[in-house]
Amino acid sequence: MRNTYLQILQLVTGILIAILLGIHMVLMHLDAILGFFGIDVGEPASWESMIDRAGQGIWAGLYIALLAFIIYHAFNGLRNIILELTPSARTEHIVTWTIIVFGIIVFIWGTYVPIALLVS
Amino acid sequence: MTEDSIKPITFKVQRYNPEKDDAPHLQEFAVPTSQGMTVLDGLIYIKENLDGSLAFRTSCRMGICGSCGMLINNYPHLACHTQIEEFNSDTLTVKSLPNLSIIKDLVPELNPLFENHKAVKPYILRHDTEEMENPTAEFAQTPKELESFLQFSYCIKCGICMSACPTSASDRVFLGPQALAQCYRYCADNRDDGERERFPSVNTDHGIWHCHLAGACSEACPKGLDPALGIQLLKRRMISQALGLGKKQQPAPVLSPPTETKPKVPFPEFTVTNK
Repeated sequence: MRNTYLQILQLVTGILIAILLGIHMVLMHLDAILGFFGIDVGEPASWESMIDRAGQGIWAGLYIALLAFIIYHAFNGLRNIILELTPSARTEHIVTWTIIVFGIIVFIWGTYVPIALLVS
Repeated sequence: MTEDSIKPITFKVQRYNPEKDDAPHLQEFAVPTSQGMTVLDGLIYIKENLDGSLAFRTSCRMGICGSCGMLINNYPHLACHTQIEEFNSDTLTVKSLPNLSIIKDLVPELNPLFENHKAVKPYILRHDTEEMENPTAEFAQTPKELESFLQFSYCIKCGICMSACPTSASDRVFLGPQALAQCYRYCADNRDDGERERFPSVNTDHGIWHCHLAGACSEACPKGLDPALGIQLLKRRMISQALGLGKKQQPAPVLSPPTETKPKVPFPEFTVTNK
């Protein structure tokens, strides 16, 4: 049932990305509309705001989760495409492990700064 | 061909002999056509009158056997089920089904289709071995239960869905819509109890989850089946099983034999006697 579970995760991460990315988009790009409703988010795209958010557990957790979901969704999709275009048992093994290792590297690279800020 | 022939049509027929040719090429034939004539009739005319070396499969000539699947004007059809005048054109291009290798001319290699079909165990699987080996009666099935899979049992294994499928085009080892829809057909049958045996064969990297839901199989099927629907319903069954959702359906019980039977209608007397 491995492929079924991978596919269920693909669907679940797709939904979670839509939710979390929606929060991100509203906060970062719809500040004028938020202002209309009396919510002042300041300058969300400025360096200070970003560092401030990265130091808060909730925001850092939200962004780390969003990155994890995106990495899984994108890399699993990429793996499916590559396997479809190069069908062989040998390729399958190589592609799967390359994708896993590459995904882990990207995740560490992307989460290093907020985790370092949280720890410090 | 009778005097009422309407007009000559140019048949551009794919020729390929793997022992002589490097690649398939088109050969033109002028075929006199009449109203109601099918593409298969045209090919038979060519074979009988113009070039006897043309190779194609045919058997029933009425859309039942699934032998004459071909790519006609770039769309997969049964040649016996397609009338020439449908295309309203002076030329007709006939090629072998795509996504399948060519044995000769218009004859595709259907072994991958049949191997994939066999892989999904297309028969009733139950665990009451004794009843399966020595049946005592029928398994119970309501008309509604029959309706849930009936359309999928009309598959004639012509390979047209597989040749229309874009995933089969890019992934040569993809199971294909025919096998996947047949997997659903047997899993949805209330007499069957073989999901656990059948699912591993479709739950692979080139199995059900690679279906893009393009729907080309359903559009092309000459018998009006909807394999894409079967695949989606099979995905639902697999997800339900993986998450433990839904009620486990017990396989149909054996119906007790009827206590009363109607008397057989007597055989009528012979009206003609031997002299």
